[in-house]
Amino acid sequence: MLQVKNLEKKFRTDAGDILAVNDVSFEAKNGEMVAIVGPSGSGKSTLLSLLGLLDAPDSGSIDINGVELARLDAKGRTLYRSRQVGFIFQAFNLIPNLNAKENVLLALEFADWPKDDRDARATEMLEMVGLDEVKARRRPNRLSGGEQQRVAIARAFAAQPPLILADEPTGSLDRQTGQKIVELLREAATKQQTTVLVVTHDEKIASQADRRLEIEDGVLQEVA
Amino acid sequence: MNALRRGIKNAFRNTVRSVGVIVILAVAIALSISMLVARDAVTKKINDVRASTGNTITVSPKGFFGFQGGGTPLTDAQMSEIASVAHVTVVRASLNERLTSSETSLTSGITPGTLGQQFGGGGFGGATGTTTTFSIPITVTGTTDPGNALTGGASGGGTEKLTSGSSFSASSSGDVAIIGTTLASANKLTVGSTFTAWKTSIKVIGIYNAQSTFANNGVLMPLATVQKLAGAANQVTGATVVVDNVNNVASTAKAISAKLGSAADVTSQQQATLTALAPLNSVKTISTYTLFGAVGAAGIILLLSMLMIVRERRREVGVLKALGASNRSVIGQFIAESTTFTVLGSIVGLIVGILLSSPITSALVSASSNTSSGGGGFTRNGFGGGPGGGFGGGGFTRPTTSSGLRFGGFHSTITQVHAAVGWSTLLFAFIAAIVVAIVGSAVATATILRIRPAEVLRSE
Repeated sequence: MLQVKNLEKKFRTDAGDILAVNDVSFEAKNGEMVAIVGPSGSGKSTLLSLLGLLDAPDSGSIDINGVELARLDAKGRTLYRSRQVGFIFQAFNLIPNLNAKENVLLALEFADWPKDDRDARATEMLEMVGLDEVKARRRPNRLSGGEQQRVAIARAFAAQPPLILADEPTGSLDRQTGQKIVELLREAATKQQTTVLVVTHDEKIASQADRRLEIEDGVLQEVA
Repeated sequence: MNALRRGIKNAFRNTVRSVGVIVILAVAIALSISMLVARDAVTKKINDVRASTGNTITVSPKGFFGFQGGGTPLTDAQMSEIASVAHVTVVRASLNERLTSSETSLTSGITPGTLGQQFGGGGFGGATGTTTTFSIPITVTGTTDPGNALTGGASGGGTEKLTSGSSFSASSSGDVAIIGTTLASANKLTVGSTFTAWKTSIKVIGIYNAQSTFANNGVLMPLATVQKLAGAANQVTGATVVVDNVNNVASTAKAISAKLGSAADVTSQQQATLTALAPLNSVKTISTYTLFGAVGAAGIILLLSMLMIVRERRREVGVLKALGASNRSVIGQFIAESTTFTVLGSIVGLIVGILLSSPITSALVSASSNTSSGGGGFTRNGFGGGPGGGFGGGGFTRPTTSSGLRFGGFHSTITQVHAAVGWSTLLFAFIAAIVVAIVGSAVATATILRIRPAEVLRSE
């Protein structure tokens, strides 16, 4: 269970302070897929950065399964990122000189997953996203965009984090491939009982989420 | 795959760049090793020369040189006074006499020849008879230091080395002699044979070779024996004083001069040594600066390369951090990468450096010597080789060590520097490689620490 309360983040600019995230509060259950939609500059990515502890909030709290995360120190944030959250990026952001399996293994290494089980777990995750052994040995530049995003999904889910943050995961894909990726996310969220927050512009994708939140000028509202 | 393996793998991510970095590092490290080897070799040579050549002082009766000039012989007592001077380690006293045909049964092994005819009975006073009919006199050296009496080219050769028989002790006063191979051959003498000198039967106890015909035409006898037989009791015609350190030569020479007053000419080779060593000192300075320059260049090359690599992979670093990699893990990965470059560059550089160190050292020494010795030939070669060699055939030889005699052929040997790669060199190369790797990684590390993973998401 993800619980966010009164989260705020300001950025100082020459024109004055900008409230990128303004008193945001919401909850998401395990296994639930929540879409966050909003125009450019509305604060979507900033909110994702705060939830992924890539940035520290000015105020408010983030609670995952009863653990308060907003006040963690740098070491605690690193530990949190490695075990409690998985990231999926629009540009995939796979490590180019590692093959698909090694990219997944990377997440398991950072999460300090038991060494003896890492290989089997990486294989299992790649199979889950539909990539066989041959594809698993390929480097990202020899995989299609859709395949790369599948690897990214496998990497994000590998260490069984309770929260997955996906920032425009279908933004670089064609509609058909994007649809498959969303289905995959849905499936993985249900299977692993993981909360998935998807930031997207795509209304069709947002409509497939369990819930839909809209953000504008840093203010988050639930849309029925 | 841990950070170490990722780092090593990353080192080969861009083959062209990696090869370029490794080659440049190898060149810098090869240059470092070559300079280090050159520096070590030259330093050793300088120390050897200082220890063996430049730390002597020559003492001779005032106004006396060779068998020319005048003056009053020095005495045994004065030798004792010299020995008591601070920093003096050895006093090699000698008394030189010439045996004419009426004084010995020995026959010279050297025929007068044209040069002998020219110089024999003339101004150099080195021969008996007239300029047209004379025989080369036999030079007898009374010494307290057999084995070193001809050191440094006295008599125009090298240091005497026994080819058969044995030597006599420093304090001996027996009627014994060690004779040169030329003289032994001319007189059919072997160890155990006898000859006559000053009407006394002298037993040959050893045969020496001093690498020159003139030097091998001489006789070495105990100082006390020559003093006794030649009627020169307590007389000494020269001494070579060995000082503990070349840096003490000037002060010791001054002290000896003060002790002997106007009785003696005291000369040292310090200045000549320092002049002769100037080219080597230049090489040492050049190699030292080049060494540090090359190590510094290697560090800067790696630093800039790693900085470029980190900037290029800024997003990747952000992703790694977003995935939960600690700063330590990411930094470790880049240090492993820079260390891989350094190790490969060091291996190639070490091989190339070892192969090139000897020719580079020789080239440096040769170039420096040629530059430094222009116009200096007279000092080192002309004068140095002269008394012992050029004029020797006419009987003009003084087996005491003078600066000229000492430096006969010195210039040619001083450039013979032996370059060798020792363990200390390899240890230095290893330490230098580590320093290069650390310097190379330092800025990259600082840059990595500043990268915030949030930047990755913002730039999406």
